[in-house]
Amino acid sequence: MVPILGRILILMALLAASAGALVGFVTGVRPNASGWKWARRLAYAFAAFMVLANLTMEYALLTHDFSVSYVAHVGSRQVPTWVSIVSLWSSLEGSILFWGLVMGLYVAVATWRNADKHPEYMPYAVGVWLACGAFFSFLLAGPAQPFATVLNPVMDGPGPNPLLQNHYLMVIHPPCLYTGYVGMTIPFGLACAALLVGRLGNDFIRPLRNFLLFSWIFLTCAIVLGGWWAYEVLGWGGYWAWDPVENASFLPWLTATAALHSALLVERKGVLKGWTTLLVLATYLLTILGTFMTRSGVFNSVHSFTQSAIGPTILVFLAAALLFSLVLLALRVDSLGTEGHLETGPSRDVMFLVQNLLFVLFTFTVLLGTVFPLIVEAVRGVQMSVGRPYFDRMSVPIGVALLFVMGVGPALPWGRATAQQMRRALLPPLLSAVLLAVAGLLLGVRNAWTLLALLFGGFTAQVTLSEMFLPVRQRMRSHGEGFVEAFRQAQLRGRRRFGAYVTHTGAILAIASIAVSSTMGSSKEVQLNQGETATLGPYSLTFVNAERVTEPHRESLQARVDISKNGRSLGALYPRMNQYENQREPIGTPAVRSSLTEDLYLSIHNIDSDSVGLLVLINPMVSWIWIATAIMALGGLVALVPSTRRVAVTASPPVPAAPVAIEGSR
Amino acid sequence: MTTALTSHPEPAMRRSRVNPKVLVGGLVVALPLLAVLVANLGRDPHSVRSPLIGRPAPAFSLVPVGGGAPVSLEKLSGKPVVINFWATWCVPCFEEHAALTAAARGLPDVQFLGVVYEDEEARTQEFLRQRPSAYPSLIDPEGKSAIAYGVFGVPETFFIDGSGRIVDKYVGPMTRSTIAALVGRAKEGAR
Repeated sequence: MVPILGRILILMALLAASAGALVGFVTGVRPNASGWKWARRLAYAFAAFMVLANLTMEYALLTHDFSVSYVAHVGSRQVPTWVSIVSLWSSLEGSILFWGLVMGLYVAVATWRNADKHPEYMPYAVGVWLACGAFFSFLLAGPAQPFATVLNPVMDGPGPNPLLQNHYLMVIHPPCLYTGYVGMTIPFGLACAALLVGRLGNDFIRPLRNFLLFSWIFLTCAIVLGGWWAYEVLGWGGYWAWDPVENASFLPWLTATAALHSALLVERKGVLKGWTTLLVLATYLLTILGTFMTRSGVFNSVHSFTQSAIGPTILVFLAAALLFSLVLLALRVDSLGTEGHLETGPSRDVMFLVQNLLFVLFTFTVLLGTVFPLIVEAVRGVQMSVGRPYFDRMSVPIGVALLFVMGVGPALPWGRATAQQMRRALLPPLLSAVLLAVAGLLLGVRNAWTLLALLFGGFTAQVTLSEMFLPVRQRMRSHGEGFVEAFRQAQLRGRRRFGAYVTHTGAILAIASIAVSSTMGSSKEVQLNQGETATLGPYSLTFVNAERVTEPHRESLQARVDISKNGRSLGALYPRMNQYENQREPIGTPAVRSSLTEDLYLSIHNIDSDSVGLLVLINPMVSWIWIATAIMALGGLVALVPSTRRVAVTASPPVPAAPVAIEGSR
Repeated sequence: MTTALTSHPEPAMRRSRVNPKVLVGGLVVALPLLAVLVANLGRDPHSVRSPLIGRPAPAFSLVPVGGGAPVSLEKLSGKPVVINFWATWCVPCFEEHAALTAAARGLPDVQFLGVVYEDEEARTQEFLRQRPSAYPSLIDPEGKSAIAYGVFGVPETFFIDGSGRIVDKYVGPMTRSTIAALVGRAKEGAR
């Protein structure tokens, strides 16, 4: 019964999406009101069927209906309810179903918000979204069917991958990732619509940018949450391994970040329209490439899904989307036109370009490193991996260069800067640059790249903070307002700008803390018998005992390790080794003692009742990476707010309207 | 800027001429990427290359489930051997059980062996009573053979040629065609 209902809902979604795509394109070519109305209705219908299909699956998971193939695959009566709920995205078919849900919601919201705007573009946009939606519905209807009927249902299933049951971050990370990843469909559809129409007006760049930024915020959080999860769960002591699946999420992030910046130039100067469109298209194509990487079984990875038959199907879609985008771009890029011109001398304009090129270079670097093993295996038949050294060697200079551009760009004025302007802009921040680098030296930083990162970080931080509060200072001077009032007023007028600088602050902090944490840490492997003590740096660790902990879905052996730093007791840490029901391999959970300056990280290699093998690491400044990400996301949200409330930021005349609107909404 | 909102340029003004730079540049990036992905589609990440491949198979002498004379690898030399590590709690093992049994029946010149991995003998016996197998399954006390073969999950299957060398290793459930292909290589002998 439930499997049939699920299959019907998927087929209905497929039908709605295919019909809607067709209606959208036809209405785009021959605009008419009823066609647009039907395109919208079908978009909402697609969303509704996806929501219902997902609810059906949740119902099946919660009632342990093992006649549903997906439930038989990942369900178990022995896991807690929250695990049953999140099992929706714990394996291949369910994750595609969840993808459909997120996509349905996005398409519905984007259609609804623009129902009476951009009449030229919107039918095409809906057409493109629903064409993508039709593909994912097709996956669910055939190659990755979650609702297949199991004829002789088992009494109990194996439960989801134990790694996913190990930490609460698994509840947040995948939805966050999908919100970021799938969200890129919306800018993609809008950019395709702009190309199909042959024009990218200033009014239309705004919804494009907003959806891009919204997805970007979630993608940023998701990437770092994934790193955090790896850090807290996988037990090798790091947060990023350049694993193909990590790269899969990082690649679209790079192009999306570039697109967010070039969109600003489109809006401000009317230039780089084709380039921005290209970046937006590339972002979506990279999400599909990432989907292929995680689900085709072609890439070996810690957290790729099991091998499945959907690889070729996704590849066909990727190829079709790629060729469609390319031909569309080649046909229409010239008609998008340019309204202004870009400065060539030292200016903010040029730094924007440099920044964009660096991001694209970064994208190619990561892409090459990710597919290189495949090239080698295809050509020479040898299995190999590029591994961290390549990525580290390539990404460190690019990251440091980005940090530099992030400082110099905002310091320079728009348009060509005179020599005097350059001096005024670039000399003062050198103070913070030198201060931070010297502080680093005094604290023992010897790695040249880390020192460079601190130097540029200091420079960029001073520029960013001074730019962030520039409007406030100007108002305080010109309007004689106090700081709080000036801040509030500046917020109303330039919240987007403020948000951008908040994000930059987060980015500086992130790069600096990544530089420090990856070069300044120390580690040690120890084997301790009961009562024995080992030391690493200022810490001493005493293995007190091992204790067996029994929970419904797992049994763990937990080590109690008493910690003291410089002779002062810091309490105990409890790294553990978990044995899950129905799973063979025990899985360790490291114990981390975090502080703002450094983390003490304990991970179990082996344990029995009277001895334990531990990996001990001191990781400096790791907490700051998480904090920095929160700041970046916050900045993004701040930048998103005024445009959603339509507070006129750049338009000059209707000044009185803005404060009224804000007061009304408070 | 705001005028762009109201004055729509005539659609006739759109001139759709292909920009060759964009098209060629795009194809130069896209086609090799697609080609590499297509070339790797058939690739099976389950065929992990074990360092044991090409080396003599670790020796063992193990008692079959339900008792009987110990089976040892040396005594089987001259004949290709397929060793399948499995367990009753492993769902993929259950899936491949029928394929293995059928293959063992169809290939009398190849010795198939199961090695029970981390499981209770009673449960294994019950499993085999319900689903008879065409070849013996051996009890591996304390998983010593599994360790010697570097097994890190079940099912894992080793293909050994007539001279006692490991020719290939397969991770994950097998189908009849995979078994046939890999047995073929074991019959040819090591590369």
